[in-house]
Amino acid sequence: MTWLVWRQYRWQAAIAALLLAVFAAVVIATGLQMAAQWHSMLPACTRSSPCSATSASLGSQVGHDLVVLSLAVPVILGFLWGAPVVAHELETGTVNFAWAQSVTKTRWLLVKAGWLLLAAAVWGGAVGALVTWWSGPRNAFYSEQFQPNYFDQQGIVPIGYAVFATALGIAAGALTRRTLVAIAVTIGGFIGVRLLISQTLRAHYMAAVTAYYNPLGYYSPPGGAWVLSTGVVDKYGHVFSGGSAPQVNGVPVTAIPASCRGLLFRDLNTLSRGQVHQAVSCMQASGFRGFTTYQPASHYWPFQGIETGIYLALAAALLAVTVLVIRHRDA
Amino acid sequence: MNTAIETQGLSKRYRRVTALSDCSITVPESRICALIGPNGAGKTTLLRLLAGLARPTGGDVCVLGGTPRQDPEFLAGIGYLAQDIPLYRRLTAEDHLKAGAHLNPRWDGESARTRLRELAIPLDRAAGTLSGGQRAQVALALTLAKRPRLLLLDEPVAALDPLARRHFLGTLTAAVAESGGELTVVLSSHLIADLERVCDHIVLLAESRVQLCGDIDTLLAEHKVLVGARKDTSALERAHTVVHAVRTARQSTLLVRLDGPVLDPAYEVSDVNLEELVLGYMGASAAPALAHLTAVGEDQ
Repeated sequence: MTWLVWRQYRWQAAIAALLLAVFAAVVIATGLQMAAQWHSMLPACTRSSPCSATSASLGSQVGHDLVVLSLAVPVILGFLWGAPVVAHELETGTVNFAWAQSVTKTRWLLVKAGWLLLAAAVWGGAVGALVTWWSGPRNAFYSEQFQPNYFDQQGIVPIGYAVFATALGIAAGALTRRTLVAIAVTIGGFIGVRLLISQTLRAHYMAAVTAYYNPLGYYSPPGGAWVLSTGVVDKYGHVFSGGSAPQVNGVPVTAIPASCRGLLFRDLNTLSRGQVHQAVSCMQASGFRGFTTYQPASHYWPFQGIETGIYLALAAALLAVTVLVIRHRDA
Repeated sequence: MNTAIETQGLSKRYRRVTALSDCSITVPESRICALIGPNGAGKTTLLRLLAGLARPTGGDVCVLGGTPRQDPEFLAGIGYLAQDIPLYRRLTAEDHLKAGAHLNPRWDGESARTRLRELAIPLDRAAGTLSGGQRAQVALALTLAKRPRLLLLDEPVAALDPLARRHFLGTLTAAVAESGGELTVVLSSHLIADLERVCDHIVLLAESRVQLCGDIDTLLAEHKVLVGARKDTSALERAHTVVHAVRTARQSTLLVRLDGPVLDPAYEVSDVNLEELVLGYMGASAAPALAHLTAVGEDQ
């Protein structure tokens, strides 16, 4: 089977290798440039004026756009490699060549799917590794690797996405038996699952940390954390986090006790330290607290592992479904 | 003599459609069996059940001494060639031969190459660029290279011109002769003339049921066409089985399965050929000897 798979896919593999090489060349070129820029900035950075305080921007637009495009690599693998695996052979009847050999349908599927999933993991992993390397200076500068979209391009999650997208394509092809339909299902399904997991599930992989501080203050968690929410909470647990009504640090004026309002409604620029203290104390005495809920930077790699695991498990489930479909469908 | 295929009450239902019902057939080893029937009669379903590519919903099936199943050892004994001549368009005949060598335990690629060279079929051209006849020959050579004990061919000549058909069937009969009685063939088609030349056994399917199954020479000897003045046939029907009767105002033409000599001198008795036999059992009205008459169909 392996020989047949290689003979069928060697041109596709060569083209994919070529595209990966072009991608690598551009990423490495812009990455080296950005690294040089970063190193030239470093000597000017000190403890009192850290690099992140400068207004300079790092890296070129071309490199940045290309790296953002890497988010689409898994779904492209899914519909170019995954969707036709079963569907195209069913459409053209070539399954009847493979199934007429001394090879069971299950083995035919597992060997084909196995090599393609492995290839998807390699390509997805290579793109992810290049982007991770490229992002090194930006991660040091902006501490952005845990933020949505940046998290999704780096580390090991691209492997999970690529394997999942390919398995989705294979399963969709086996279920619909039409390459075009399978491609549509793959694109729609992949985007849907990615959005669902990144928007709703990801924040809950591990317990978040919440820091409380004075209701008029601001808190920035240690670098590299992913801030989930921030705002002010009153003694009843009611959360205020901005809005269109007149407000002070996100708390609507109407929610502020009358006793504190007098202290707050002055020109803030002219307030003395003591007056600020007084206002803060008044708010605190009324039960208001500022809060920031975040996932600390130390959760970055556990999150990468959990998310990759989820996608690999989904891929395994899809592969199992495909095996059942191929085994039990007669025609 | 061993049996290559034996089925008992075999049936296959897809959700709402019954593709095959209560099919009981026997095909002895080293026969070339014609599987005949109109489109949709269940020929492909039967072949796929025998090849282990589909599972029956009822009845028993025994092929080469075992139950057809997805198991490398069973599959190695079966040479199944599907209706649409499955070849990868972009791969060459040589690629297919190499793939076959990787996928089968008893592969004989050399004799396949020799056969294709004799037919002047290029081994190094993409299958998609070959003619229909050449593709069918490549597919047959691949199926034979597997050295199966049972060859299941699903309308392999349907799309071929008469010359390509003749070459294809020539290759097939040569392969059976070379096998020295090791090879049994089931060949489905609705081209009765082609089958008559190469087959010695017949299974006739119509409306997903077996109408006729047996050795062709025996069946032809058992059946006669009786032509005589139109009259009451109940005496005849007591002695023999009237398979098919067509009557005009003056004359009756009867296809009869004999149970002894025809004693009534009023009938002119003549031999049947395979086409008349098949059409008689199918209840069709287009057989030359039975033309211009309407079917009565007492064959069920």
